[in-house]
Amino acid sequence: MPPSLELPSYLSQSPEVSERFEKLRNRPVKLKVENLSKKFDTPNGEISALNKINFQIFRREFISVIGPSGCGKTTLIRILAGLDFPTSGNVFLEGRKMEGPGAERGMVFQDYTLFPWLSVKKNVMFGLEIKGLGKLKAEAEAMEWLDIVGLGKFADAYPEQLSGGMKQRVAIARSLANRPEILFLDEPFGALDAQTRSSMQAYLLKIWQNVDVTVFFVTHDLDEAIYLSDRILVLRANPGEIDELIEVPVPRPRAPGQFLTPEFLATKKRLEELIRPPELAQNDEFPMVRLTEVGDEVE
Amino acid sequence: MSEVKSKSREHWFGIRKDLAPGRRTLLTVCSFGIPLLVWVTVSYVPFIWHPDIKLEISADRDGVTTVFTAGDRVSKEFFPTFVEAVRQENRKVLDARVKNNPHFVSRRENIKRLRHLAPLGVANGWLKNNERQNDEKIFNLWKQLAEGELASRAISLSQENLEIIEENWILLSKASPTFNLKLYPTEALLKLIPQGISSNPVYLPAPHEVINAGWLDFNTVPENGMPTMWERYRHSLNIIFWGFAYSCLLGIPLAILCGSFDFFSKLHEPFVDFFRYMPAPTFSVLFVAFLGTADAPKIMLVFVGTFFQLVLVIANTTRLLENSLIEAAQTLGAKRRQLLGRIILPGILPNLYNDLRILLGWAWTWLVIAELIGEKTGLTGFIDTQGTRYNFDRVFPVIILIGLTGFFTDRLLNWLRYLFFPWTEEVRQAPKGLLTRLLLSSTDRTTYFK
Repeated sequence: MPPSLELPSYLSQSPEVSERFEKLRNRPVKLKVENLSKKFDTPNGEISALNKINFQIFRREFISVIGPSGCGKTTLIRILAGLDFPTSGNVFLEGRKMEGPGAERGMVFQDYTLFPWLSVKKNVMFGLEIKGLGKLKAEAEAMEWLDIVGLGKFADAYPEQLSGGMKQRVAIARSLANRPEILFLDEPFGALDAQTRSSMQAYLLKIWQNVDVTVFFVTHDLDEAIYLSDRILVLRANPGEIDELIEVPVPRPRAPGQFLTPEFLATKKRLEELIRPPELAQNDEFPMVRLTEVGDEVE
Repeated sequence: MSEVKSKSREHWFGIRKDLAPGRRTLLTVCSFGIPLLVWVTVSYVPFIWHPDIKLEISADRDGVTTVFTAGDRVSKEFFPTFVEAVRQENRKVLDARVKNNPHFVSRRENIKRLRHLAPLGVANGWLKNNERQNDEKIFNLWKQLAEGELASRAISLSQENLEIIEENWILLSKASPTFNLKLYPTEALLKLIPQGISSNPVYLPAPHEVINAGWLDFNTVPENGMPTMWERYRHSLNIIFWGFAYSCLLGIPLAILCGSFDFFSKLHEPFVDFFRYMPAPTFSVLFVAFLGTADAPKIMLVFVGTFFQLVLVIANTTRLLENSLIEAAQTLGAKRRQLLGRIILPGILPNLYNDLRILLGWAWTWLVIAELIGEKTGLTGFIDTQGTRYNFDRVFPVIILIGLTGFFTDRLLNWLRYLFFPWTEEVRQAPKGLLTRLLLSSTDRTTYFK
């Protein structure tokens, strides 16, 4: 089927966009991933979930990872956050080799993971108290963060009393209150309905614009990846390798209106090609027997 | 939180559908009411069961060694035979008398025959319980009954027995106009014909008998220096408390370590798993051997009975805590010690609390066995003694007391959860109101949460 729209190449960038990427590349490297591999032993032999992954993230960059299911997105983010160990390879944060989890790398999970026995405020205070901040100071800071995510008046509620979107905002506030150098988000909006999801995306963009934090974002939603990111890391499954690292040509600041701009659609088309290559798409076609007919010849 | 339902659409039997609050309350009341009603009905409606006759007046048969006294129960099949045998003996005595060849027996035997009136005297309050062998009072009783000065209210004497009383009094008063044992006749007196009322077997006392016996036992100080019921109760509570406390004190930390670290899990759990299959009571002899016969072996038995279960159950509860909570805390900078104290412990606490509630119920089972080892003590000691004497009306109040204690402890602990764990979904969705919450069923589906 011929494309119905004439789209520019996703590689062509407007002058201001390419200037922005130029500046980004001159920033210090925040996270460096070197020859990262992860293998799993299964009854059917060894599986290479990640194979020789190399990339770097610059300071205050927003980078997304997408890929077909089973491509190792979650494995990758968990290794970067220190929750899993790589079979080989290293992760460097500002040149320091990382081993095990730590407060400098915050993480937001898909299933919220708020501590149900703590109030919303105390959830946000958790990391601050661990850091050794006094109770009063921690409380003041937590309240500040809750105001930023717009949940100040829910400070004394328990997590279970909040909706999914609100829970996730608390989780983000809790991670950011710790002032991490890099924030990992593992499909954070995956469990939310479409409307909450888009407002959460707007929230995240706004927060990211106002806070000095580098974001590493895993998603399977192409629109979300393009809308939020500076660059998109496309992973391929079996073995899990980097397919392409795309610079998103959509200018900032981002707005929901950009979903239909030529550069947005061009990027999306490219991502679709990468994630569902035509040769794979053909395999998906299967014969279907028509069981009933209405009989009015209308398809 | 419960949904508002339209009456007409509501069904009594919906799979996994909650009933309306009114219906739930009704059924809860029924769950206690029905067994009670069955007990009351079987006890007080004679034709439902009542397979026995409870003797009010008894007699000894000649040459038969099995002796029934008033208060004993005989089966309804046997009772007519018993009555007929006594009647036959009386007939022989009368026949002999008519033929002017009266039977003679020992004076002692006649005194015994007269004493069979004593239970009737006690039942009417004319005799005190310890006057059953006071022959002077019994003599007066015969006199007054024969002369119609007294009429038995508590036990309605049969016409047959009234005639026997008069007949005997003629003989007795002729020989001994006033009370004088030495003048008692040696000519055989007639025996009272056994009389009784329809009753249930001894192991099913009626509610009022149980209440009376219980009231008496719990309000009297026993002679011969035995402990009162309340002292026994306190003693039982003491043993279960310490046994369970030691179990928790050692078991909970070990269980949390096992649930958190594979190291401790693999080091301890296989053995604990093996040990719990060895029945604790079989060690009782061992405990008595090295801990003496006082309370120590009993506490030890409750401890051994609950400890191994507790470790496994709570270790498993600990493992049920969502791993992502621990990971989230790690990415917030928490280290091992903080994870244990600030995530794992508070995270499993509501479930751990529920586990302990269930385990405490098991501890009561062990208590019953524990109190029978070494020196028999406490409530179970009492149950054991009275049970072997067939005093089941005195046994049931104690069994019910144990049941009520367990039940109300559990209700109380259940209710305390509303104070301790306000953040759990179950508590937040539970209906408000102190009494409602106290009575809220512990079997509601949300008791365990993840």
